[in-house]
Amino acid sequence: MAHRWGMAVDQDRCTGCGACVAACHAENNIPTVGDDQAARGRAMHWIRVERYWEGEFPDVRLKFRPVMCQQCDAAPCESVCPTHASHHTDEGLNAQVYNRCIGTRYCANACPYNVRFFEFYNPVWPKPLQLQFNPDVSVRSVGVMEKCTFCVQRIKTAERDAKAESRPLKDGDIQPACAQSCGAKALVFGDLNDSESEVSRLSRSSRGTKLLEDLGTQPKVTYLQRQSE
Amino acid sequence: MDRRAFIKLTAITGTSAALTSCGSPELPLIRFVPDEDLVPGIAEWKPSVCPACRAGCGVIVRVIEGDAEVVRNEQRGVMKMGLAKKLEGNPAHPINQGALCPRGQAAIQLTYHPDRIAHPLKRSGNRGTGQFEQITWEAAIAELVSRLDGLAEPRKLAVITRTGASARHDLVAEFLNRLGAPPLVPFEVFSDDVLRRANAISFGHEQVPTFDLSQSRYAIAFGADFLGTWNSPVAQNVAYGRMRQGRPGIRGRFVMVEPRMSQTGANADEWIPARPGTEGVLALGLAHVMLAAKLRPGDAAGRAGAAIDGWSGGLTAYAPDAVEKRTGVPVKRIERLAHELATQRPAVAIIGGAPLAQTNGLFQALAVNALNALLGNVGEPGGLQFQPQMAPAAGRSRPGLDPARTLSTLATEMLSADRLPSVLLLDGANPVFGAPPAWRVRDALLKVPFIASFGSFLDDTSVLADLILPDNSFLESWVDARPESGATVAVAAMAPPAMRPLHDTRATPDVLLDVAGRLKRPLNLPWKTYDELLKSAVVAGIPAADADDAWTRACQQGGVWSDPARPSQVATRQTPVTVRSSPVSDREPRFDGDANQFPFHLLPFASTGGFDGSTAHLPWLQEMPDPLTTAMWSTWVEVNPQTAARLQIADGDIVELASSQGALRAPALVSPGIAPDVIAMPVGQGHQTFTRYASGRGANPLGLVAPIVEDDTGALAWAATRVKVMRVGGRDGKLILFAGSKTEHPERSR
Repeated sequence: MAHRWGMAVDQDRCTGCGACVAACHAENNIPTVGDDQAARGRAMHWIRVERYWEGEFPDVRLKFRPVMCQQCDAAPCESVCPTHASHHTDEGLNAQVYNRCIGTRYCANACPYNVRFFEFYNPVWPKPLQLQFNPDVSVRSVGVMEKCTFCVQRIKTAERDAKAESRPLKDGDIQPACAQSCGAKALVFGDLNDSESEVSRLSRSSRGTKLLEDLGTQPKVTYLQRQSE
Repeated sequence: MDRRAFIKLTAITGTSAALTSCGSPELPLIRFVPDEDLVPGIAEWKPSVCPACRAGCGVIVRVIEGDAEVVRNEQRGVMKMGLAKKLEGNPAHPINQGALCPRGQAAIQLTYHPDRIAHPLKRSGNRGTGQFEQITWEAAIAELVSRLDGLAEPRKLAVITRTGASARHDLVAEFLNRLGAPPLVPFEVFSDDVLRRANAISFGHEQVPTFDLSQSRYAIAFGADFLGTWNSPVAQNVAYGRMRQGRPGIRGRFVMVEPRMSQTGANADEWIPARPGTEGVLALGLAHVMLAAKLRPGDAAGRAGAAIDGWSGGLTAYAPDAVEKRTGVPVKRIERLAHELATQRPAVAIIGGAPLAQTNGLFQALAVNALNALLGNVGEPGGLQFQPQMAPAAGRSRPGLDPARTLSTLATEMLSADRLPSVLLLDGANPVFGAPPAWRVRDALLKVPFIASFGSFLDDTSVLADLILPDNSFLESWVDARPESGATVAVAAMAPPAMRPLHDTRATPDVLLDVAGRLKRPLNLPWKTYDELLKSAVVAGIPAADADDAWTRACQQGGVWSDPARPSQVATRQTPVTVRSSPVSDREPRFDGDANQFPFHLLPFASTGGFDGSTAHLPWLQEMPDPLTTAMWSTWVEVNPQTAARLQIADGDIVELASSQGALRAPALVSPGIAPDVIAMPVGQGHQTFTRYASGRGANPLGLVAPIVEDDTGALAWAATRVKVMRVGGRDGKLILFAGSKTEHPERSR
């Protein structure tokens, strides 16, 4: 049976430390844009930790929520793409084919989660920063839209390794960079078609919700609400 | 233009374009022969040790073959070599157990940073102008040797390093010891020395504890940002995740006491902004309720209780109404918290950061220690434990430190004509950035006749050096650390180089060993190279027949950690147990600056990206949004909403902060999570010199800190300075935020 990749985010475990954000940059060759561009809202963070204040001093609380591409089953970004750069794979991923992308930015407009990022300029990597590039991930150039891929390069590597060793993929064989780095284990990745997988188990939690579910996007990321007594 | 002219022109421009594309003329296309076996496209994972703080997390490095411009025999060329691509936590390492923090993830940029010092440098302009000329290693080492030989007496040598135990430290200490020079001076702004002293008094262990949160049912933290920047954050995050959701049916409760909500406090079930400097009083107030209601036996606290004045009498001075008056925490809340702590055990109290950096810091730590002892959690599951320590590498019983010799005493020496050192060595510390201005560290350094730095970057301190002998990056060298806490077994993290050096740099420990042998009177250190020293430490106490296997295993797994089955490997650090003759009574905290003239407490805090300033030069961390404010590339001043309204300050407005020590300007950020009488500012930005990414960016709150010290230990009380705030202008666009709003918009307003 085909895989259906998904993620569960336990907001009761997430401490907002930001390790996922830095890990994602390191894994996916995401450029830094510098202060001027960042001030124009062009900083690229495929995963971000949203924070929301609740209440007023001194009865104030804060909520962290890591947000990445929700890998929607009914993805608004896909239907608006004139070149099929944004498309659905048979494993349920919202893939982005950089070579097809002509930079209309329709997808970013359509996405309700603000998780697509546009290369407004050719990214700058003063030497020798470019030596850090992950050879498994393409380096994008100006005019291309990019986003979280669930670390598809890691998925493909694990699938290939399992095939080479003639064994099925085990739950936990694949860890995207964000989940790998997370100390509190707030991010859990896996196959939603495997009802025994950790991500499936967590997705059935009574604390589970989806972001902006009423829009009908059918996200594959489940958020487990912070528990309060 | 006719056709002929057009072709001529394009031919010329085409040729010149082709010429320039050949690269700069000083880079001839030399291909070095690769000196390692690599399979193209196949990743290898090699162990290393994260250098970003003293937590000593183990990492594994993904190494893949690639082409790199390198320097070999002082000649540039291209070489096929293994290149580090990604750092991940070492799953076998007892501290971080496979995870990393953002600073650890970004640490790979230390190796590939475009402004790394690539070869030895000698100062060519005036001090501080940053003008240097390239010299050879032979010349650089000869210069250092001649300076050390020229010392009139050994005590004229001073060394400033970072803190944290390691074989590298042991080597420097032994170098100084054999030379007859004074001990090295470790410097760290956010030091935990007050806590170490308190733990020696209360528990007989002069170290920061490990918190076994994974089995706690209740945790109360006093100021300790233990999920963000304090102590061993990755180990503490791992344990915290388990405390919250790792046990079926049990969710540990977490309460935070601090006047400004930290990243850690943001996770608390209950957040209590007690007045700065009264955290210890609150802890004793909780203890009083437990004792009065006989929820816990008073003698359970033992020696930790005996260290507190009035403990045996039931802490009558800390009745809830008295504690409410001093801390601002209501009586009902104190009583409820005490009952919760006493009944939901194992419960643990954690103190760290700002409460220790008050004038009464030792008392505050002793108070929380006594609370922990009363809760019966010391050395118990779910409580606090003291990680056994590995023996120092150089075979000495203690690392060569002198607690009385600190940066502030050294600066005083440097400013006095007769005790001025003639040679100063800098290894990784940046005291010009971190020390309070009244210590006049920069003035003091300018008086020293000769300064040599081993750092990889020009920062506020090393820019004053006369000679720079750049270290390899941690991925290019043998590395090691002996973490003090975070695990329950003894750990010596250690690893061979993960890749070859990119530049014409040399590992500092090997340079020191080289220098030691070249002195007029050679120091006769027992090791030729640094890895020999590391090996001697790893195989100490192991039978010779097994030594090579043990060494190979240590190099493969990234260090050694004690095995309960073989306890002989572990040497627990012997602390002279300093029991005080009389119990400590509490003192009101004192603050620098008159409360009328300077109405606000200044709280400088370690930032997620910049930490204590030492990671501000990494572009990933500069652009990473701060967890609470989402600020990037910026510095900011956190102000309570009521205070902001009163002073007519809006988000982004420029405010001036002034203390008795100086003033700075920075954008304001109105934050609901800060007390009305507190002003908080992140440490990290405000470097005058620190690579293209951090130089001249933002302001440094440490420049406002007064030289007021903790009463009993003399440690810098960096949270005891008062400031005044004034709006001086509208927004200037320097405050860059990633998020558009502070609150979530409910569905109905969409």
